[in-house]
Amino acid sequence: MENSQYDLCIEVLSRLDKVGALKNLVLVGSWCIPFYKEYFSGSKYVTSITTRDVDLLVPLPLGIKAKVDLEDLLKDLGFILGFKGPQGYIKLEHPDLVLEFLVSEKGAGLDQPFKLPELGVNAQRLRYLNLLTSKLINVKIGSLRINLPHPAVFALHKLIVSKERKKERAKISVLRIKMLQSEF
Amino acid sequence: MGTIKNVLREELNNSLQMEKDYLRELAKLPKGSLIKKKVKGHEYFYVISRENGKVKFRYKGKLSPVEIKRYKDVKFYRTKYRGYLSKLRKQIKFLRSSLRGKQSV
Repeated sequence: MENSQYDLCIEVLSRLDKVGALKNLVLVGSWCIPFYKEYFSGSKYVTSITTRDVDLLVPLPLGIKAKVDLEDLLKDLGFILGFKGPQGYIKLEHPDLVLEFLVSEKGAGLDQPFKLPELGVNAQRLRYLNLLTSKLINVKIGSLRINLPHPAVFALHKLIVSKERKKERAKISVLRIKMLQSEF
Repeated sequence: MGTIKNVLREELNNSLQMEKDYLRELAKLPKGSLIKKKVKGHEYFYVISRENGKVKFRYKGKLSPVEIKRYKDVKFYRTKYRGYLSKLRKQIKFLRSSLRGKQSV
């Protein structure tokens, strides 16, 4: 991982901390891995590849009281607002990092973003995220305290999600074959 | 397709989308840069821009510090976004060449 990417991530987290948002968010996804280094400080731990996506889970009900304009907060770092998919999920983009917000999906599920006016963004609803918040750890990086899912919970979640993704990929492959067949 | 290639493909799609987004943000910024001219001890401002291959000066007169800051911010973001576009295009080139290989990794 490039140092500049890591430093940028720390800067983003610091700014979120300054406005009081970080304590109400949980860092999930591949960016947990470099921060687990602190948790596993007593053992040999090698961090793996991380993508650009920094996934921030927003546990509900949201504890942030004062309104924070995230776009404005990160604008001078070069972040711009981007939209993902036909649903219009908001993400904050930078060539080195992409910030995305997630909330746990419950019940039958809705195919539309969850509005987060307190942060000036919206969040994508995803299944099984409540598993990640079932056991949290708090890691200290410099002056920052970052909420992360417990590594065991993180691993279990990855196993469940990868199985689901395999099913989805299989469905997409079947659809592609059907489309090709209909073309001929 | 292999796991690494899937990640690279996702990153390529992200970079392509981001390229469009940065171009959109650049287009939103007003054209031209602010320049200052001193005439008989007084400072006057002009916006210099290129239109149809010709350099044009638009007289702005005396500007308030807020307006001057606004032009400076525009210049700052334009330079930043152009730099990022160049970086993204390099990323796209690299990712495309990485995905051209036939090995399943």
